[in-house]
Amino acid sequence: MRRSRTVALTAAAAAAVLIVTGCSSGTKSSDTSSSGTSAAGGADAATKNIVNASDKKGGTVTYEMKGTPDSFDPGNTYYAYIYNFSRLYGRPLTTFNPAAGEDGNKLVPDLAENMGQPSADGLTWTYKLRAGLKYDDGTPITSKDVKYAVERSNFAPDVNSNGPTYFKELLVDNPTPYEGPYKDKTGDLKSIETPDDLTIVFHLKHAFADFDYLVSAPQTVPVPQAKDDGANYVKHVVSSGTYKFESYDDGKQLTLVPNTNWDKSTDPIRKQLADKIVVKMGIEQSTIDKDLIAGNAQVDLVGGGVDPQTQAQILQNQKLKASTDNAYGGRLVYTAINTKVAPFDNIECRKAVQYAIDKTSVQLTLGGPIRGAIANTVLPPDIPGHQDFNTWETKDNKGDLDKAKAALKACGKPDGFNTVLTARTERDPEVQAATAIQAALKKIGVNAEIQKFPQGKYFSDNAGVPQFTQDHNIGLMMMQWGADWPTGYGFLQQIVDGRAIKASGNSNLAQLNDPDINKLIDDAATNTDKAAREKIYAQIDKKVMDQAVYVPLTDFKVFLYRPDSATNLASTPAFSGEYDYLNIGTTK
Amino acid sequence: MTAPIKTAGNEPGAPATVSPAKKIEGRSLGQIAWTRFKRDKIAVAGGVVVILLILLAVLAKPIEALFGLDPDALHQDPDILDANLGGLPIGNWGGMSWDHPLGVDPLQGRDLLSRAIEGSWVSLLVAFGATVLSNTIGTVLGVMAGYYGGWVDTVISRIMDVFLAFPLLLFAIAISTSLQGGAFGLHGLPLHIMVLIFVIGFFNWPYMGRIVRGQTLSLREREFVHAARSLGARGPFILFKELLPNLVGPILVYSTLLIPTNILFEAGLSFLGVGIQPPQASWGGMLNDAIKYYQVDPQYMVVPGLAIFLTVLAFNLLGDGLRDALDPKSN
Amino acid sequence: MFAYIIRRTFAALLLILVVSAVTFAIFFLLPRIAGETSDQLAAQYIGKNPSPEAIAAVKKNLGFDQPLYSQYWNFLKGLVGGAEYKFGPDPVTCHVPCFGYSFKNHLEVWPELTKRIPVTLSLAIGAAVLWLVSGVTTGVISALKPRSIFDRLAMGVALAGVSLPVFFTGALLLTVFSYEWPILDNLQYVNFTDDPIMWARNLILPWISLAFLYSALYARLTRAGMLETMSEDYIRTARAKGLVERKVVTRHGLRAALTPVVTIFGMDLGLLLGGALITEQVFSLQGIGAFAVQAIADNDLPKILGVTLLAAFFIVVCNLVVDLLYALVDPRVRLS
Repeated sequence: MRRSRTVALTAAAAAAVLIVTGCSSGTKSSDTSSSGTSAAGGADAATKNIVNASDKKGGTVTYEMKGTPDSFDPGNTYYAYIYNFSRLYGRPLTTFNPAAGEDGNKLVPDLAENMGQPSADGLTWTYKLRAGLKYDDGTPITSKDVKYAVERSNFAPDVNSNGPTYFKELLVDNPTPYEGPYKDKTGDLKSIETPDDLTIVFHLKHAFADFDYLVSAPQTVPVPQAKDDGANYVKHVVSSGTYKFESYDDGKQLTLVPNTNWDKSTDPIRKQLADKIVVKMGIEQSTIDKDLIAGNAQVDLVGGGVDPQTQAQILQNQKLKASTDNAYGGRLVYTAINTKVAPFDNIECRKAVQYAIDKTSVQLTLGGPIRGAIANTVLPPDIPGHQDFNTWETKDNKGDLDKAKAALKACGKPDGFNTVLTARTERDPEVQAATAIQAALKKIGVNAEIQKFPQGKYFSDNAGVPQFTQDHNIGLMMMQWGADWPTGYGFLQQIVDGRAIKASGNSNLAQLNDPDINKLIDDAATNTDKAAREKIYAQIDKKVMDQAVYVPLTDFKVFLYRPDSATNLASTPAFSGEYDYLNIGTTK
Repeated sequence: MTAPIKTAGNEPGAPATVSPAKKIEGRSLGQIAWTRFKRDKIAVAGGVVVILLILLAVLAKPIEALFGLDPDALHQDPDILDANLGGLPIGNWGGMSWDHPLGVDPLQGRDLLSRAIEGSWVSLLVAFGATVLSNTIGTVLGVMAGYYGGWVDTVISRIMDVFLAFPLLLFAIAISTSLQGGAFGLHGLPLHIMVLIFVIGFFNWPYMGRIVRGQTLSLREREFVHAARSLGARGPFILFKELLPNLVGPILVYSTLLIPTNILFEAGLSFLGVGIQPPQASWGGMLNDAIKYYQVDPQYMVVPGLAIFLTVLAFNLLGDGLRDALDPKSN
Repeated sequence: MFAYIIRRTFAALLLILVVSAVTFAIFFLLPRIAGETSDQLAAQYIGKNPSPEAIAAVKKNLGFDQPLYSQYWNFLKGLVGGAEYKFGPDPVTCHVPCFGYSFKNHLEVWPELTKRIPVTLSLAIGAAVLWLVSGVTTGVISALKPRSIFDRLAMGVALAGVSLPVFFTGALLLTVFSYEWPILDNLQYVNFTDDPIMWARNLILPWISLAFLYSALYARLTRAGMLETMSEDYIRTARAKGLVERKVVTRHGLRAALTPVVTIFGMDLGLLLGGALITEQVFSLQGIGAFAVQAIADNDLPKILGVTLLAAFFIVVCNLVVDLLYALVDPRVRLS
């Protein structure tokens, strides 16, 4: 869930035994250069095509961002926009096709020349690197550097603490637990083999169908061990991509210049257009918006959309509005109902909440339709397999007090009850949505006290600790969820699989543990047919909704301004609706 | 508001302006002061506004009930908020209408008049509470330091130095943040109010302490104290019966001037997001919210901004008037 | 005089030491009041899925397993001697003066602070010049012509000034000058050395909003002081011996009247240098105040400690300078 950067997500939830099928869902290779293109634009153009497609070289592309990222170090980040941006200076084994809409969800080989080759039992994945790859200093890239990159990013949590640790959970550990490359300089992780300089083999504890997606993370971007000085590596990242670090001023500015050792013939997806790429940090959102409109900046690096004030101004101006993209962000905003806290252990009381909440009201507090479409399913529409349905339908999504009260009665609480609703302090929209939910519940006599917790501790100490929620009568929790990779498995597993419940850092906030659903998760992973798998995801979605444990509120949308001065802009669902940063150039 | 204690510190800190009145035959200090105060029309106006504000704060809940105002009720009808513009109020003046005389807030459409009324009791309660707290600590320690002198004075004065060297606002933020979830068996609004009273009151007392200490120092050498002492009066008696009544004037003046500072302080903390927490209405919290819309809905910030301004102004006018009335040296 | 300077400086140092100790103790106690264990504290510094070993390592590194006084002692040692933490292939050095090392984003606190000092310094000094000049001038003129129209008007404005929260004034200024009539838009901090004109242009609104508040106070203070001194005997004497009125005012009147003003100026400036939290927030300036707010939001203890200490340092130093100035001007002070 890198998008909203929660803590502790381990993919291969211990018990989920997946049998790999050999069907890597992303391999359907499409001609990467010929996704539909369009020069003109118009509102939402970049959600369908690459807008302003161009091969014009030269100029400086300026990125601006609010605040600072967790790190530019490919092995130490969990932000979608750095996943996206780091591909300019680092090539993971696979990556997403730089294209708009559905095409953007397609996985293509990058550092590897083909998608991974799983063994028959699905426990071994082999990748072959392209030949002739070089770092920016001219030294050759070897598979050992990829192995080292995985080791440093997953096994040294005290040095590179930001990224997820999927590999650590999934790879077979050494007989004595591997302590990471910094502590144990002689040893290495035995379950990653590099039989030659171009081959890398991963040995998994159990089969994992989405492994090709996993290696698209910047954690497989090669890092030469000799150049790695831990926390300081971010200051001089060694490039394998189109651009290399020229200067890095922490918290202020990063400047990239073309990597002369990058060879176009080894790279079918990248273009090296701009003469220079500058990232300016710590800039106010409203200033970024102005710079985008004025053409002083080409990209808002964070890609979370414009400031609400700018949004209102743009919406009132047809000309500006034509240069915007309102894209799904691959994220669901929802309220989790804690099945382990009374009276929500009774499905009737959960139903009462499902019926009582006025989703249009919540949608408005979140910023209106521009900031999110009303959701009735767990799977967002930009994840393959999504199906529309509405289990707890109310008229115009405005809630139905009669049905809600009837459900309360059936639950044995006709006069309502008291509970606690949590939200994250720093997130104003989330708190405001909680307020709207509180107001709706009040109408059926349910008093929800809003308690806020800092987002840094939300999962480690509060909402993500089942014991804590039990102790504090926390029945309802505000939540946002985005998958780390765009498949039904990537989205659903952590939040609906009962075996994914953790004592701390839990994401299955409802503590839903339904044997049928758990089994379906396993079924999906073992099914060789992509279409059939996607059908199972929809089935899981329906079953989860039948349990009434999650109240889907909105499918998050971003509202991006698309500067005329930027070329090759395509909003991609693979990176939360951000523009794909790989090939952005400038006309300036 | 960046250095909130400044009004607190300085205003009355100009010692020349707050000095004990000399007794005049036949009329009590209070009577003289009252006569002088009554002549000061502006101060009286300030006093009237202050009384009205206190009434409003005390009666906020009944008033809301009487007029059917609900500060937390959402009004998100399509004729009030424009969903397609991201939930901005419809209409020129931030959604002003007969139903919502001061308009509504964006996204949620809550009635700003109700929220301004609701915010009054929070602001005044915190300001009064904090003032009482810091004045109590300040008076007790100030009198002790001034009266006993010697090592007592040294210790208390050094403690005051340490407190004055603290970056107050920073501390207030840190404390309010860490105690947000729950502490001392409290949570929610009561906890926030208590924490605010504590952080504002507890760190502000040395200003009061210094003034009282100075006053006590000069009073200690006055004839009536000497007289009491020679008649065999003991420390506590002199402290409470002889000194304190003479300190009431300056304490009163200072309190009246400290209240507005504390209102600003509370608003500042809520503005920074560490004071009163939404959905509870507070003026600082409203401003914090409003500033996000300063370009597209500037009317929003005017409501809490003016509420704070008028309240603080009224208290300042009253305080100025009281000081002049109690200080024979002023005009 | 020399002995006095030494004595005062020593006292100031002691004061800083006490303040830092109290700060340390408070931040040590706070999380415990809120009910956190040292394990949870340590876990915040690691990130995802902290293993018990990692927690133990961080606890050891941060010294959470030691008693409060020895943690404080280590902190002091770091301040004068630097510190080393074992992370990664090479131990991380926290250079002198080690104000702490943030384990959250692997940064030394001191360089982070020094990066931001110019912003806050520019903000505070610029505003201070503005409010001193305008406040004192207004106060003097008002005092010389009490009850004149100017006096009443000035004092009315001053009263309004002290009653307006800076975040309201600031927001109003932004609305008017940065949005409605965008003559001062795109306000980004620019280094004075890079472009002095842009530096001043982009800081003028924050200066004005701060100065409005403070000059109101200083005008009132100056006025009161002037009224008082101008009725003193020595002023009459000065006039009697035929001194030009201008000289009477500047040389005799103002000098005495400004004494309390200077004291308070020392305190105000000290406080501001430690971070103009709200002003920085309103105008999105990345100064010490913004750093502090962020550090607190992130619950990043080393940063909070560092910034608090720096702020206390500024307060104490400014007060010290004022004290020494007094001693220089008025020999009675250093004798008492």
